[in-house]
Amino acid sequence: MKQKLTSSVQIILLLALTAVGWTGQSYPGKPKIIRCRSLEKETFSCWWKPGSDGGLPTNYTLFYSKDSEENFYECPDYRTSGPNSCYFDKNHTNPWTTYNITVMATNEIGSNSSDPQYVDVTSIVQPDAPVNLSLETKTSAGIMYLWAKWSPPPLADVTSNSHVYHYELQLKPEKKEEWETISVGVQTQCKVTMLQAGVKYVVQVRCMLDRGEWSEWSSERRIQIPNGESPPEKPTIIKCRSPEKETFTCWWKPGSDGGHPTNYTLLYSKEGEQQVYECPDYRTAGPNSCYFDKKHTSFWTIYNITVRATNKMGSNVSDPHYVDVTYIVQPDPPVNVTLELKKPINTKPYLVLSWSPPPLADVRSGWLTLEYELRLKPEEGEEWETVFVGQQTQYKMFSLNPGKKYIVQIHCKPDHHGSWSEWSSEKYIQIPTDFRVKDMVVWIIVGVLSSLICLIMSWTMVLKGYRMIAFILPPVPGPKIKGIDTHLLETGKSEELLSALGCHGFPPTSDCEELLIEYLEVEDSEDQQLMPSHDNGHPSKNAKMIPKEKDSDSGRGSCDSPSVLSEKCRESRALPSTLQTQDVRDVQENKEGKRSWETECIASEQKILLFNNESTKETTWPATQLPDNHPPMFAYHSIVDAHKITMTTTNVNIASFLVGNEEHKSQYSITETVHDDMEKQREMENLHSKTDQTTMQVIKTRPNDKSPFLNPKLMDYVEVHKVRQDKETAVLLKHKENSGKREKYTVPGTSKEYTKVSTVVDHNILVLMPDSRIHHTSVIQEPAMEMSQNLQQGQAEKNMSYCLTVPSECKRETSGSEYMDPSSFMPFK
Amino acid sequence: SRTKTQSTEQCLLLVVLLVSNMLLTKEGVTSLPICPNGSVNCQVSLGELFDRAVKLSHYIHFLSSEIFNEFDERYAQGRGFITKAVNGCHTSSLTTPEDKEQAQQIHHEDLLNLILGVLRSWNDPLIHLASEVQRIKEAPDTILWKAVEIEEQNKRLLEGMEKIVGRVHPGEIGNDAYSQWEGLPSLQLADEDSRLFAFYNLLHCLRRDSHKIDNYLKLLKCRLIHDSNC
Repeated sequence: MKQKLTSSVQIILLLALTAVGWTGQSYPGKPKIIRCRSLEKETFSCWWKPGSDGGLPTNYTLFYSKDSEENFYECPDYRTSGPNSCYFDKNHTNPWTTYNITVMATNEIGSNSSDPQYVDVTSIVQPDAPVNLSLETKTSAGIMYLWAKWSPPPLADVTSNSHVYHYELQLKPEKKEEWETISVGVQTQCKVTMLQAGVKYVVQVRCMLDRGEWSEWSSERRIQIPNGESPPEKPTIIKCRSPEKETFTCWWKPGSDGGHPTNYTLLYSKEGEQQVYECPDYRTAGPNSCYFDKKHTSFWTIYNITVRATNKMGSNVSDPHYVDVTYIVQPDPPVNVTLELKKPINTKPYLVLSWSPPPLADVRSGWLTLEYELRLKPEEGEEWETVFVGQQTQYKMFSLNPGKKYIVQIHCKPDHHGSWSEWSSEKYIQIPTDFRVKDMVVWIIVGVLSSLICLIMSWTMVLKGYRMIAFILPPVPGPKIKGIDTHLLETGKSEELLSALGCHGFPPTSDCEELLIEYLEVEDSEDQQLMPSHDNGHPSKNAKMIPKEKDSDSGRGSCDSPSVLSEKCRESRALPSTLQTQDVRDVQENKEGKRSWETECIASEQKILLFNNESTKETTWPATQLPDNHPPMFAYHSIVDAHKITMTTTNVNIASFLVGNEEHKSQYSITETVHDDMEKQREMENLHSKTDQTTMQVIKTRPNDKSPFLNPKLMDYVEVHKVRQDKETAVLLKHKENSGKREKYTVPGTSKEYTKVSTVVDHNILVLMPDSRIHHTSVIQEPAMEMSQNLQQGQAEKNMSYCLTVPSECKRETSGSEYMDPSSFMPFK
Repeated sequence: SRTKTQSTEQCLLLVVLLVSNMLLTKEGVTSLPICPNGSVNCQVSLGELFDRAVKLSHYIHFLSSEIFNEFDERYAQGRGFITKAVNGCHTSSLTTPEDKEQAQQIHHEDLLNLILGVLRSWNDPLIHLASEVQRIKEAPDTILWKAVEIEEQNKRLLEGMEKIVGRVHPGEIGNDAYSQWEGLPSLQLADEDSRLFAFYNLLHCLRRDSHKIDNYLKLLKCRLIHDSNC
């Protein structure tokens, strides 16, 4: 029990301790704004001292408001002036504003704000101290003086570095306490006289901007004022150089002369010799230099060189300088740089650069071997292109931009050691533009060639396109045609067959061939299992079928929507109606792949039309109890019909039809007639009247947009047919309303359907009766509708088969719809 | 028609023969400059020999400079070796031309012999350098392989120079004056500073002498092959 008690006590204690520990973490202490300061009246910074952080990470935020506004802003820049500071740049600094500044410390537990600080920028200006203070003693007319120089304080914002500062300089002997202050003014240098010789002085400088505060004093500089008793400072050997690997020169920089005239002596010793020599020639290379002529120049030998400065007070020797002349060769720049533009025939011009080695360098003997490097750039260019050319003194440049002016320079260097010479003087060369013209020619040729290739490609695409697409998108299963005499079709008479298929020489033969192939495909598909409906079977194909009047968008989804499809088909039909044979040819000449589609579509249209014409006679009309007296003219229309019928179960002798066709009329005339028909039909549609019409389009009616298969009851069907003007055969629509309504047959709700033949007048006029139940009419181009309707009406199989054939044609245009699958009709029987 | 085919075959054969003949003659042409017809002394020209020697000496000096610079950068910084290196090359006993005038005045046979002497003087130290350099603490590969390469190339150059000397003045190949190198113990000193200085000095001398040889060879080439008009 005791143990338990103690342990529980311990636990309690621990808890208490932890609680204390927790309470040890608190909101941060109060920060304090130490100072605010502007270096140059255009910007300013404030620094603060953080309070205790409360044992947690603490964020500091500086807020400020202006006397002119109510708003609070946060510090624009915490970084520039270091930690715990805020920098107000030019845009945030207004000399006419008083700023109310607060710093808030925040940690997890809470926050604490400093006392506000009011800042008037003008009153807090204090520049940084001047920099780069340097001191020098000089003697003028026997009087020693001190020459002090410095630079204004650097600013963070370099662009505003144009302030005028006032400077003050203070100096004192090193061992004294009192400073002597000299007001300098706005200059950054100062001459101080009346100095004690032999005393070391300490110098500082500070500056002030307008009426602000003085800056801090700059860092101290010390200088020994020579007392006239001192020797000169030791000189420094700057460099030695041999321009031609035969002689060399060394230069030195004297130190302070100690206030007395000073002599400089160069002394050297050579490797392996104890003897010290003096410079042989102080003059040739100018002041403070020593020239070693050929006699005094040895190679593969180290020179130990020193310079001694001597005045009457004493002397001082420089640090030794070790020189092996082999390694200090720096030639003069190459000379005689010439630029020549060569223009050989049949080739691009090129630039030949040539130059000579520097005259001093004896390259011929082989004593000195030089290597060259050249650089060039366009006159306005920024970057040099550098080319190392080895020992050659000539270089050819081939790839230069024509029409530009180039700057060329060359320098040289000994083959192993030493350093590069200065660059030779700039040479300019203008590259002529004439080979731009050649380029142009090349480009033109390239362009022509590529466009030719494009043309050929597109041409082949046009020729092969249909097959390719048929290959990529396999043929839609065609209708299953009963009773077709395949044997007949297979056993030759291809010409007859061809003509029977509707290639009446109107579309070009190539298209005819394709059409023929299509028909054969239909034949082949007889064996296939036919699917009821592939609604979205081949939308892409569908899209391609769109006549050019329609944009591709409208084609999309047309498979899904029968009404749209019919619309499209209508347009397809409308197209040929406006075309003469000539027009068709024009269309063919379109180079785009659409061409074949369009023409084919036209051809199909015509076939449909032909077919429809015939069907009017052969199927629909009988169905609507039209008398079976066909004018002779129909005989050639029946070519199409014959074909259709062949495909159906009707026992029509196709051969006889074909023969009949050939006997009757030339195909050309047929085509013309068809066109004529179509044109007239179009007119009729446009005029909304049937006055004097020689042709009428077969019009089918359909209930609405819904799939006919799903809604067979609504199917309705009327074909209004054509015919010959001279025979005055016509189908009249019997409206209750104005005939103008027919114009809107594609618009749901406003259209009429004609389901019944009202009367037949004079053997020529068929009067149709609108179906009051149905408010939608569409054109013949909806074969599926036709079929459905036929089915619904329980018409003869003949009719049905006719309907089936129509889709087989139209399907190629509207491949996605697939309405005509016979199997789907079968149940309706 | 048979005669026709025969004639075409003959033509073809003729063409093939002609072409192959041309090719063969062309191949023969390429070897002409070096070995003229029936020449007994079928050998490389002196100019070619000098070209090769100069290329080799250039390469050796390039390597020597590199190895010296690398060593200097790595081991000699702040040790003031240069001040001690004065007067320390074992080949300094061979009196060589020290400037252009001297080099131009000396007879080319003497200069050739001097080159031979310097090259021979380096045979021994280079062998030791190549082996001893591997004992330098953390010696980088670049230094190691250069030491080996310099040794090999120096031998090749020596062979080439002997050939040139034999060509320039036949029969007088003797004169094997060269400086003995006694520096092996210094390369094996226990005191690292002294040992590194020994290496430094040797490499410094190698750089200098290889430059000498290169310079002399270029001079000789211009003098003997180009008649002092390079």
